[in-house]
Amino acid sequence: MKLYEYQAKELFKEYGIPIPRGILFDADSFDEVAETLDYPVILKSQVLMGGRGKAGLIRFAENKEEAGKLVEELRSSSYRVERILAIGKNEFEVASELYLSVTWDPAAATALVIACAEGGVEIEELAKTAPEKIIREAVDVDRGLLPFQASHLAYELGLEGATAKAAAKVILNLYRVFDAYDAELAEINPLFITKTGEVIAGDGKLMIDDTTIAKHPGYAPGRDYYDSDAEYEAAQDGIPYLQFDGDISLMCAGAGLTTTVYDLINDEGGKVANYLEFGGPNYRRAQRAMELCLKNESKVILVVTFGTIARADVMAQGLVDAIRELKPEIPIVTCIRGTNEEEAVEILKSAGLEPIFDTEEAVRKAVAIAGAGKGEQA
Amino acid sequence: MSIYIDENTTVLIQGITGKEGSYWTEHMMGLGTKVLAGVTPGKEGQEVHGVPVYHSVRRASVHHKADASMIFVPPRFTRDAVFEALDSGIRKIVMIAEGIPVKECIQIRKAALSEGAVVVGGNTSGVISPGKAMMGVFPYWIDRVYKPGRIGVMTRSGSLTNEVTSMVVEAGFGVSSLIGVGGDAVPATRFAEMLPAFQADPETDAVVIIGELGGSMEEEVAEYIRAGRFTKPLVAFLGGRTAPEGKKMGHAGAIVSGGSGSVRDKKKALEAVGARVADRPRQVGELLREALG
Repeated sequence: MKLYEYQAKELFKEYGIPIPRGILFDADSFDEVAETLDYPVILKSQVLMGGRGKAGLIRFAENKEEAGKLVEELRSSSYRVERILAIGKNEFEVASELYLSVTWDPAAATALVIACAEGGVEIEELAKTAPEKIIREAVDVDRGLLPFQASHLAYELGLEGATAKAAAKVILNLYRVFDAYDAELAEINPLFITKTGEVIAGDGKLMIDDTTIAKHPGYAPGRDYYDSDAEYEAAQDGIPYLQFDGDISLMCAGAGLTTTVYDLINDEGGKVANYLEFGGPNYRRAQRAMELCLKNESKVILVVTFGTIARADVMAQGLVDAIRELKPEIPIVTCIRGTNEEEAVEILKSAGLEPIFDTEEAVRKAVAIAGAGKGEQA
Repeated sequence: MSIYIDENTTVLIQGITGKEGSYWTEHMMGLGTKVLAGVTPGKEGQEVHGVPVYHSVRRASVHHKADASMIFVPPRFTRDAVFEALDSGIRKIVMIAEGIPVKECIQIRKAALSEGAVVVGGNTSGVISPGKAMMGVFPYWIDRVYKPGRIGVMTRSGSLTNEVTSMVVEAGFGVSSLIGVGGDAVPATRFAEMLPAFQADPETDAVVIIGELGGSMEEEVAEYIRAGRFTKPLVAFLGGRTAPEGKKMGHAGAIVSGGSGSVRDKKKALEAVGARVADRPRQVGELLREALG
């Protein structure tokens, strides 16, 4: 789970990383804070998507009137910004912007500090434009980041004197946050060097490893973490679900297989309404899965499975029971295979369904039913 | 000869008395796997399908010399179980749990690399040499999926593996050995690290990799082929070709950001070194036929 900038910055501050003075406010109650902001002011929308600058979600206002207009604009935009972090533009003067992050290196089996003297742009962009300027420091997962490494990095970044020492401290502290919060990524971009030599986190990004959510209950993802109500609702049930705007509902099992079916639908010219995976621990929950699918204006539900532990007969029976209970008005195309698949075929047939045994055939049939297909008729 | 496991490999089961552990122990033996002993703290003296259970791996090791350990414990106990197996000198370990914290995966991989062990997983179905033995959870009894043959398979998926492997069999081939490296962001063993074994295996004519968007394992395979170290035909199927950027689709290890880890880049890298990349599962069989004449 990704934290909001203001949440990440709160943690950075707690771990001794200097952050700019900021005021967080609700976008619909700007009037309450209007007098307390430091103008000219930078208004940073607190949304989880990346590339906020490009999307126009970080704005600059000279005065109260302008700020009020911009806040209203952000609030009523398609991003429906709810919270804004206001930072006084003249709090300090920026001399340079650096990039700093900590992440994992899966191949080397280490943590990795990544730094660059040219911050402000996305690291992927930096990797393309100036790969030689990116500095990498591998960190042993058991030793953690050592002071000499942080110090070395600061000097490699071209910093000197007290600024180098302050930067080394920031690097060490960022690693401490990364470690303490079971992060997959801790990033400061830009990391400001001020004209007076201070080192200040201009932004904050922290992504916590989803498997450790129980250890960090304060950051459990709420509704605003998801793009749609349906995705949020499915997540509460532990069912992987993604919302799209097509007319074929996928009710499949297995992350890789569901992703493949998604590709095949697109190949055939079909459009997916939702990606839903009810394999693994959810294979007995066909009814809940179907309820979620039926919230869409789909023309067909496509069920593709090839399970091992997720037995075909159990999934087929679950599907038949779900149909009996929910009485969907749209056709269901089934391709249920795997453990006990012969029994599954019988169960489906006895319920009046026509079991298909071939994924591509099932995909073509679903696309044909949806009527958007360029493929052959099923 | 097989990769990783064959009918002579002796196996220990950690977490043998649990529901999954017990169920799959029976099936592993059903395929011919030599299961020597099981471990569950507090359950020493019991038997599971005739297999003796011990309190600890060390206590089991007094009586049994296992080549490999199969771990069925929940994700939060998996790291401890892997270290316990390493502690007793076991150098082949399969961990199937989904949801092992990333930091612990890093620690496991680090330990495996430094101790010369091959740990496979997590979030995997495991390892199987059809007709001989398996460590994991495969429906080996479905002959149209796990027919013995001469194609090596490596995969990041579960259900999709069944799908693709069934296409390999449909095309007239069978499987020599299958290694499920798993769907996590930090698999303990990576695709390219298993290529030397497939290269050396006289029972493997070609290798199929079942990859997906995210990470860099497919690119590492391309790099390995480019270096001339793997010379057998290789066919890849990569899921998530049309996945929208930024959406978390597929396994934990599959998230595309900023144009890296995309299927398009992986396909390009593999095709540049002469590997064949299938767009659909069925095409894997067709490309194998083409490659093997």
